Amino acid sequence: MEEIKIEVPVEPPKELETLFLPIPKDYVEDTYRKDDFLILVGPQHPGSGHMRLIVRVKGDIIQEVIPDPGYVHRSMEKLAENRLYIQNIPLVERPAIMDSANFNLGYVRAIESAMDIEVPERAKFLRTILAELCRIGTHLYDAAILAVFIGHTTGFMYPFGIRELICEALARMTGARFTSSFIIPGGVRRDVEEKTLRWVYDATFAIEKRLKSFERIFIKNPTTIARLRDVGVLSKEEAIRFGVVGPFLRASGVEYDTRIVEPYEAYEEVTWDIVTADEGDGYARFLVRVNEVSQSLGIIRQCITSMPEGRYVSEQICDDVKGNFFDKFGNLVLPAGEYTTLTEAARGTLLFTIVSDGESNVPYRVRIVTPGWLYLRGFMESLKGERLADLQAIYGSFGYFPPEADR
Amino acid sequence: MIDEILATLMNVFRSNSMQIPLIQPIVDYLMQIPLINILVALILWRPFFAVVIMPGLAVLLLYLLYIVWFERKLTARIQWRVGPLEVARPIRGAIQALADGLRYFFQEAIVHRDAHRPYFVQLPILAFIPILLPIAFIPAGNAVGIKTPYAIQLIVAFLALIPITIIAIGWASNNRFAFVGSVREALMYVAYEIPFIIAVISMIYLYGSGDPYVAVEKQSLVPGAILNPIAFLVFLITMLMATSRLPFEIPEADQEIAFGPFVEYSGMLFGLVMVLAYEKLYIMTLLFVILFLGGWNGFYFEPLGDLNAPLCLFIKTVVVISIIAIVRSMYARYRIDQTLRYSFSWLIAFSMVALGIGVVLGWIL
Repeated sequence: MEEIKIEVPVEPPKELETLFLPIPKDYVEDTYRKDDFLILVGPQHPGSGHMRLIVRVKGDIIQEVIPDPGYVHRSMEKLAENRLYIQNIPLVERPAIMDSANFNLGYVRAIESAMDIEVPERAKFLRTILAELCRIGTHLYDAAILAVFIGHTTGFMYPFGIRELICEALARMTGARFTSSFIIPGGVRRDVEEKTLRWVYDATFAIEKRLKSFERIFIKNPTTIARLRDVGVLSKEEAIRFGVVGPFLRASGVEYDTRIVEPYEAYEEVTWDIVTADEGDGYARFLVRVNEVSQSLGIIRQCITSMPEGRYVSEQICDDVKGNFFDKFGNLVLPAGEYTTLTEAARGTLLFTIVSDGESNVPYRVRIVTPGWLYLRGFMESLKGERLADLQAIYGSFGYFPPEADR
Repeated sequence: MIDEILATLMNVFRSNSMQIPLIQPIVDYLMQIPLINILVALILWRPFFAVVIMPGLAVLLLYLLYIVWFERKLTARIQWRVGPLEVARPIRGAIQALADGLRYFFQEAIVHRDAHRPYFVQLPILAFIPILLPIAFIPAGNAVGIKTPYAIQLIVAFLALIPITIIAIGWASNNRFAFVGSVREALMYVAYEIPFIIAVISMIYLYGSGDPYVAVEKQSLVPGAILNPIAFLVFLITMLMATSRLPFEIPEADQEIAFGPFVEYSGMLFGLVMVLAYEKLYIMTLLFVILFLGGWNGFYFEPLGDLNAPLCLFIKTVVVISIIAIVRSMYARYRIDQTLRYSFSWLIAFSMVALGIGVVLGWIL
């Protein structure tokens, strides 16, 4: 189709000068000199989350998207420098509260690698169960947000209904619905009873049953497929070049999972498949996470059936955490050095680095690189050339979570 | 002088009055009281009754209260929730819509600086004119506002005016999202109007007249939905598109463009624009029932007399709308280009097939 050019000089709106946009002034004038115009999506837009997207559109086609993140920056890294190592555990799980166990696990493993603590088998299995429960919860949350972004309110309510079971399982195991701070250096805080584990085992089947009705109403819905298929396509090469991580990388056909590449906890002892897809479009990114949920349910069941007996916290730390928690952990001092761990959080690879000076009981520096921050570039690139209405569909298919990316 | 005018009016009203045996004793009693009797006669005057009471304004308001509550309750039941409950617990939150309306009424209606002030304020009210005009032409048995053999064509013509007011609302808002919303509304208008009009024309061919009385009489044995099922389907889908219900809730997509043309409205003005789509749905469903579901054919109770036809039409309309309400919890939203593609390819093709069926059947019958 031949393009009709309408060269009407338009003055840039005055509000664009006052909004402190992170773009040069020339860019705004250049945009308005052409046929394009700028749409500011967020931070108070129902389809943006806690961030601003500066969308340059030509007609209905997105030319470029410039992200303006940082609205929920809480300076986690700086706060961590002023707290005891053990006090940092509740802090580092705040960026993504649905995914708290994975964040907790990454930080605690960095401390363990510094202190050469051998974690008992039972604790490893319990930690794996917690991490997978949080992964399912996060995937369900993202599915709900995706559903409401493309206007499907039932698809929003069902996953939140299902996630109640996850919250209940976490509450029974750890005492909190999420952000339980249950994983501590050397193990977990308390042992989990056989009865509770049996309940979690049964709950996985209840979740599976409810996921079937979610699949009927949303995943296999023709309108969902029409909206998500062939939008926001990232090819394998692009996904690698832009540094996309986690399920979104796997949706582009790259078989990379930190749980396979550098196995930690009990992931070596259970059998599960790495989920990939080749299309790299929004629907593939969604389906990969849906299939990961069923893999995670399988991991939880295997962990519960083959749960070893034994200690829940390493004897290098203490006999029993109960009653002497701060005596044992309050004056934790890490040997001087830099300790890095990679964790597969629900949304992708999570990096924790702790730098210790070897004499103080607070970290010298804590570095958190969250998956959201890593795949932001790929997210922005995948929007180019799509329609304005697809902005929310692609946003939802990435499950971008600003508090996690901003830390 | 006044007595003569009153007497003339009384004669006009009494000569064409609704006969309802059930309330006849009360009417007879009220007729003996001066001044009250002229009001009662006016209300029972058939044109007035059709336009203002049933199936016109009064039941339209009743329907608005009902459908907002019912839609929320039905959606909640599907979504493992409870829905509105706290306003009037004994009747399961049934007056929630009334409470919301009161809240809108007392809320400040903000008119922002960039808006075109006169149009911004008056357009939500002006939008009621094309909503209310078709009611004058919709008959229900003996109760009819303006009796004309071109009623169906006129209703369709007035319905086509509603998107123009919505586009004007988006223009007067002077907002980028409102602008995108108005353009989407204009595109949707083009997308649904052609198949919709062809579907209606096919039914006019089938019945051989644009007169609702003829249409309803010809459906006394077989309803139009069975005579021409493809026109029925096309009308149903275009009705969803015209009233921006969910697979096609494109102009108002709240996650994408934040209610589109209505993004800047608040308070009472928002209350007015919010119910626009529901009122349009009501008018279109009345037309739908007349064309496809046998109009006011149905039950006949002796004590109700002339009220049978309007009541039957209203009940059919509300049942149809209550069934349509379920699509909101079943579908996600299509994109505008997908909708245009579907509409200009198979929807128009189907409406052409429906037109063929209508012409052939109209020739046979």
